[in-house]
Amino acid sequence: MQRSRFAILMGLALVIIVGMAWALSPVWAQEAAVGSEQPGPGVAGRVIDPLGEPVHDADVIAVGREGQPVAETTSQGDGSFLLDLPLQDYDTLVVEIERPHYVSREIPIDPAALAELNSAQAVRLPAIELERRITPGFWVATLSFVLVLLLIALEKLHKTTAALLGVALVLGASFVGGAINPDLFIFDFERALSYVDFDVIFLVMGMMIVIAVIEETGIFQWLAYQSYRLSRGRIWLLVTILMAITSVASALLDNVTTMLLMTPISIQIALTLGMNPLALLIPEILASNVGGISTLIGTPTNILIGSYAGLGFNDFLINLTPGVLASLLGLTIFIVLRYRKSYAAAGGQLSDAMRQRLKESGRITQPAKLRKAGVIFGFMLVLFVTGDAFHLVPAVTAILGAVAMLLWVSPNIEEMLHVVDWTTLVFFIALFMAVGALQEVGLIGIIATAIGNLVGGNLVATILVLVWSAALLSGVIDNIPFAATMLPVVAYLTRTVPGAESGVLWYALSVGAAMGGNSTLIGASPNLVTAGISERAGYRITYLDFLKVGFPATIVTVIIGTIWLLIRF
Amino acid sequence: MGKILCATRGGAASRASQDAAIALAQERGDELIFLYVVDISFLNQTAAPLVVDVESRLEKMGRFQLAMAQERAAAQGISAGALVRRGQLRAELLAAARETEADLVLLGHPVGTEAVFDEAAIQSLATSLARESGVKVRVV
Repeated sequence: MQRSRFAILMGLALVIIVGMAWALSPVWAQEAAVGSEQPGPGVAGRVIDPLGEPVHDADVIAVGREGQPVAETTSQGDGSFLLDLPLQDYDTLVVEIERPHYVSREIPIDPAALAELNSAQAVRLPAIELERRITPGFWVATLSFVLVLLLIALEKLHKTTAALLGVALVLGASFVGGAINPDLFIFDFERALSYVDFDVIFLVMGMMIVIAVIEETGIFQWLAYQSYRLSRGRIWLLVTILMAITSVASALLDNVTTMLLMTPISIQIALTLGMNPLALLIPEILASNVGGISTLIGTPTNILIGSYAGLGFNDFLINLTPGVLASLLGLTIFIVLRYRKSYAAAGGQLSDAMRQRLKESGRITQPAKLRKAGVIFGFMLVLFVTGDAFHLVPAVTAILGAVAMLLWVSPNIEEMLHVVDWTTLVFFIALFMAVGALQEVGLIGIIATAIGNLVGGNLVATILVLVWSAALLSGVIDNIPFAATMLPVVAYLTRTVPGAESGVLWYALSVGAAMGGNSTLIGASPNLVTAGISERAGYRITYLDFLKVGFPATIVTVIIGTIWLLIRF
Repeated sequence: MGKILCATRGGAASRASQDAAIALAQERGDELIFLYVVDISFLNQTAAPLVVDVESRLEKMGRFQLAMAQERAAAQGISAGALVRRGQLRAELLAAARETEADLVLLGHPVGTEAVFDEAAIQSLATSLARESGVKVRVV
């Protein structure tokens, strides 16, 4: 055990060192470049796309007399380039810019600039905009992504396998197809990896370990049992308390874990009360999907949005929690009204022996571990809230919490590594690459421009379009790939729509994507997981069963969420 | 005295097959064992973080369901046993039939929208189970 802990610490130290080296490498590279700069003629400029985004890795070639190349370089991450020209007399010079998926451009250098070059000075060109070009690579990336979405929505493949297939198609087209037809090239592997957001990966991984320790203690089953005890047979009160517990748990853990913990005990409570478990489970699912929106760590979509937009834990807490609370209130009222007949018809208490069995299921199994885990989780929440002040990113807080759990609460390390759901991490990595391919070929730009044209710079219209399109689409396609695709689109709209600089559009995406998951059974993972467990207990949640409650509930909560965003911003 | 193994998920739709098993056990004077199989293969499609020991949770839920079935049997004067196994339904049914040395395996007819199998699938399961285990299988 000691050796295992030592190995973990060494591993983490290595990860931190590599991470710091990776983070600092651009600075070192820049310093090295500055140090090697020599005075002389040169042409500097910046390449941008039609959305004003920098175009990196474009080939920039200076062509002199008789079409002879005299210097070449590639554009940097910010789109800038510097052509170091040899000292000579220039009477003609053309800068050619080429990049897959863009129309190539030739910029002739005017005589005044040539004179400056001839006197060994550098000239700066105005921003050079490259027009997008629809290539065969565009269709490969787009159709691969659509295939991934379909395979996930129709449950033909595991999500991770589907995403990996999408990446394989894109990389296969780039490396194999690109050798035959250069227009099939999308990106190389290094570029594909650059799209992976390791903040998200580490945050999700750290939280998995933390949650795995907490869930062993039985705290959630205990809470569910206490709600049964407190409600004293008043079903409406029981549902209200269970929805509150589920939403708070979902805000602090992820929604799937919450429902995996709550579903079995809720079924037992329902059976004890002589009611159909679906009347408890469906409200819990809905509350879970809504409650998760209130924090950065509550839903995968929030984790994606927070990391991409640089939003902290407090940003979500301040800007979304009041709206979420209002939506939960509306949802609870809707549920109590919707199920009033089922709740009134419940009856037929089980025997004392069965009630005793329920009590056993709802007890805290490891109180000592719960105390320690509770202290660490409390500290983590403090760090999440205060971390913004000293630039502590949530991923680091999650990793610190995970290490503290491993060292102090001392769970079995092999067990902990086992509970890290690597398929989820691989899913995120593959998804980032697949969305990166869409960015490379320009599909994201096309979507962003289309939405920009549709809303015409009107902030309210943009909020409405984002919230409701996200809500409706999340009911039919998985909301994680959807949110990942929309991130660069929302970034563009945030820059271009007047008033959006407040960040409101990020929250609009969060509200729409997460609440929309409630509209259908396939809209979000907690829905499917709960349905699976319920079926194992002999109570099937059909698509229609869910739709009848979930769709109107989505309308109610999204309306309240939209009103909140319009008031807040 | 023989042994009857009754596979059940619990739930309202399973009560008919539980009652049939109880009645048969009474009639034949056989020992009755209720079986619940914890099958988490449905999670294979989910790439959401599965950090919870789902099998243990479902096992607990299964034991609760079986205890309810045992109470129903006890109310009719039958002392039934309960068995929970982890794995895929078909394989675990087969293993349980062999281990318990059951003379008869009972499966429930699909009822309403709650059914996991359709009629053809349950008959096919019964046939293959009978062939492989050598035990009589009846769909009730």
